[in-house]
Amino acid sequence: MFSVIIYGRNDTHGYNLHKRAAISFNALAEVMSDPDDEILFVDYNTPDDHPTFPEAIHDTLTEKAKQVLRILRIRPEQHAHLKSKTHLVALEAQSRNVALRRSNPRNRWILYTNTDMLLVSRTEGESLSDILGAVPDGFYQIPRFELPEMLWEAAFDRRDPAGNLAKLRDWSVRYHLNQVVHNFMPMKYDALGDFQAALREDMFAIHGFDESMLLGWHCDSNLAARLALYRGRVDTLIDKLFGYHCDHTRVAAANNKGRQTRMNDQDQYIWNVSSPYVPAQADSWGWPDVEIEEVRLDRETSYQRFTAGLDAALKPATVPYTSTSLEWYLYDDLTYDIDHTLPFVADQMLTYPRSTSVMLVGTRGEFVERFLTSWRAMGFTGPVLVPNECEGLPSDLEGEERGAFEDLLPRAEMFIFEFGLATQHADEPIRIGRQAGPLDVKRLRMVTKLFKQATSTEAETRPPGRRTPRRFVGVNVIYNKFWPLFTDYVGANINPFCSQVLAGLPRNDPSLRGKVLRFRGRRAI
Amino acid sequence: MSNSGMLLRLSGSLRGALSTRRRRTADEWVPGRNGGEAEQLFLRAKALFRMGDGETAIRLLRQASEIAPGFSDALEAEGEALDMSGDVATAAARYEEARRLRQTGRPGAPDRHFVLRQQGAHTAEIVAYTRVLKSLRKFALPHLARGNAYLADGQPEMALADYERALKLQPESLDALALKGEALSARGRYAAAIEVLDRVISARPKDPDSLNARGIAHMALGHIDQANADWRHQLELLGGRPAASAYVALRLAGYVVALPHLETMAGNDGRDPYWTLYLRTALLRLGRPLSDKGTVEGDSWVASLMRPGRHGRPPCRGAVPTRRRSPCRGSVCRPLVLAAGGRPGRADPRRACSGPQ
Repeated sequence: MFSVIIYGRNDTHGYNLHKRAAISFNALAEVMSDPDDEILFVDYNTPDDHPTFPEAIHDTLTEKAKQVLRILRIRPEQHAHLKSKTHLVALEAQSRNVALRRSNPRNRWILYTNTDMLLVSRTEGESLSDILGAVPDGFYQIPRFELPEMLWEAAFDRRDPAGNLAKLRDWSVRYHLNQVVHNFMPMKYDALGDFQAALREDMFAIHGFDESMLLGWHCDSNLAARLALYRGRVDTLIDKLFGYHCDHTRVAAANNKGRQTRMNDQDQYIWNVSSPYVPAQADSWGWPDVEIEEVRLDRETSYQRFTAGLDAALKPATVPYTSTSLEWYLYDDLTYDIDHTLPFVADQMLTYPRSTSVMLVGTRGEFVERFLTSWRAMGFTGPVLVPNECEGLPSDLEGEERGAFEDLLPRAEMFIFEFGLATQHADEPIRIGRQAGPLDVKRLRMVTKLFKQATSTEAETRPPGRRTPRRFVGVNVIYNKFWPLFTDYVGANINPFCSQVLAGLPRNDPSLRGKVLRFRGRRAI
Repeated sequence: MSNSGMLLRLSGSLRGALSTRRRRTADEWVPGRNGGEAEQLFLRAKALFRMGDGETAIRLLRQASEIAPGFSDALEAEGEALDMSGDVATAAARYEEARRLRQTGRPGAPDRHFVLRQQGAHTAEIVAYTRVLKSLRKFALPHLARGNAYLADGQPEMALADYERALKLQPESLDALALKGEALSARGRYAAAIEVLDRVISARPKDPDSLNARGIAHMALGHIDQANADWRHQLELLGGRPAASAYVALRLAGYVVALPHLETMAGNDGRDPYWTLYLRTALLRLGRPLSDKGTVEGDSWVASLMRPGRHGRPPCRGAVPTRRRSPCRGSVCRPLVLAAGGRPGRADPRRACSGPQ
């Protein structure tokens, strides 16, 4: 019957985002009763190494919410062409249009709202699907009632939407919450963007939201103006349901700078609107030709993929624990435990697109083999690119592609550099003062050279059309001699030794030292 | 004299008298489709309601609904007042009734400008945008939105005035110009409409709505070739959208082209019995057998047209019951004759295309 369209990203937009969003997701799912109903959450521009916002809070969502939730992930790379035109990190019009394009065509209605709304039908037990199924074609809004932060934060149980809605019925009377704030037409109500129900067919006819609105605010009013023109009327559903907004003004959100807030021009986008259509984007709204990843919380979750990958590549431990050491005299010992390290490497991969092609430069054949096994079992479809310059590594593994480093460089979307000892055996003790032999030194020298080259030339060797920098994962680069090397070239955090893994984007160090490093790296000096 | 009668007498009779001698200002309200008396009551009730006198407001709104039983905005306003007074059940019934009333009649032809596809009276919108214009006179939207409400309500003269004001603010607005063309056409000023629409189409040659509007104006003036040319062009631009394409094809009497679109719509939109009627019309015109499917329920007018008469044909037009208010949308008039098995003869193009369709 209807598709709810909301958007956001895995960040901290306003106060206690996680709680109010979980409350809202669960409450929206609670008022759905038609099998075609869905919540489309557009996760806009969350950094690639983060999970989407709903994934980050999945444990606080009800089973029903997980079942109806479809997450459409827009990557930073897909936002890159707009980055210079806006100060915002998440764009409303683009998000909502991407979802609209991909919404369930069997649904008659699109409901635009936000991740802090709860909808309470006035007839207890009546779902929003029932309500929207019974009303005639039109463009409907409801007023928004505010819910003080104390109430939702202190009294709501995220995973009890029915209980929360019951509380709202009670509070609305006891605490006089229901105040309708009227507004000029065509807006009709204040804060109208928290409930705008339009026919899917109408939204397609008017070309969705206006994607030239890049500065935030008034997208809802623009939509109201255009749909008011198109439909001739702005109808209300106030007799059917109330909408409550979890107030979050204790801390201003990123797009709220008080009187200094930058906004889309009201005159242009509301008062001088003269047509419902946006012909300039008639063929392009909602990015019809762009492949958008879809993530589900009720199937093929990241956790399921992660465990599938590791289960394929690891056997369970046979001892209660193993040990290693970071004492200074072991600085040159490059032995490490693949079984223990692989989960941390896999952890760096899961949030990336399944089609990612990763370049793996390393020394230990066993690492390459085990990584490839887990990579495939995690559902990745992109190739693992292994340069021919890396000698001694297996070359006939499924999903592996060998080639010259120079040729593979522009195909790689991520890099793994592994600094181990080619001669280390699987059953060897770890970090007991082992020195690298001549073969190890030779192989490590090659890995170092390729690492320097890859990081120093990253910007100019990107795949065609790519604008965002690629990520480098370093394996066995903590508290050993490759730690300074890795962190000279890659902006990695300080991580605990136990994880063995560092990751980040190439550093752009403007100092003389940084320039020298890059110069040497480019020329493999 | 009742309260409402007194109120009506006091309601700006002096201003009303003066207004006949001067040009209306942009923020002046003029009664519309529901009639002056009912709409004055509506306005007064809304004001009283905002001032806290819900009881009187409800009484006035009921009077307004008695005077104009189809006045959905009065019913909705009464619903709001009842709701706030705590009579939720009666309020809900009023809201429902308002929604039902707004659905009576049929939307305009799907190949026409969006304004002409809108249903019902728009009193509340006219009032609301008039209020906006008291504060925001220098912007196009309130003028255009109110103009559209007037045009959809069948008051093209009022609409024209609003479009002219919008064009003064935005002289280059092709949207306002296109609407002006529609309003002129609705006023029967076809030549002027064509002149205006020529300007729109020369700047926006792929504007299907304006092509349609100009086609209608041409047809009204008997320029059949030009009308057909515009509609043919419009048909090309529709990209196979079935509802609009079916209508344009019917305007062109292109039954072969219309047929697949009509079949699609008759299958997809069971709520609208006219699709079946038009489909059967097209089949008849093409000399093809009528399918058994497509019985029509819920619309006695259409059902009566499709009832077999003598010789297994639908009844002739004379036998068709007349409707109080014609449901014609666009080209309906011509196909009706055809569906009824009448001779396709030459219809008067002016008759077929006059008024906002």
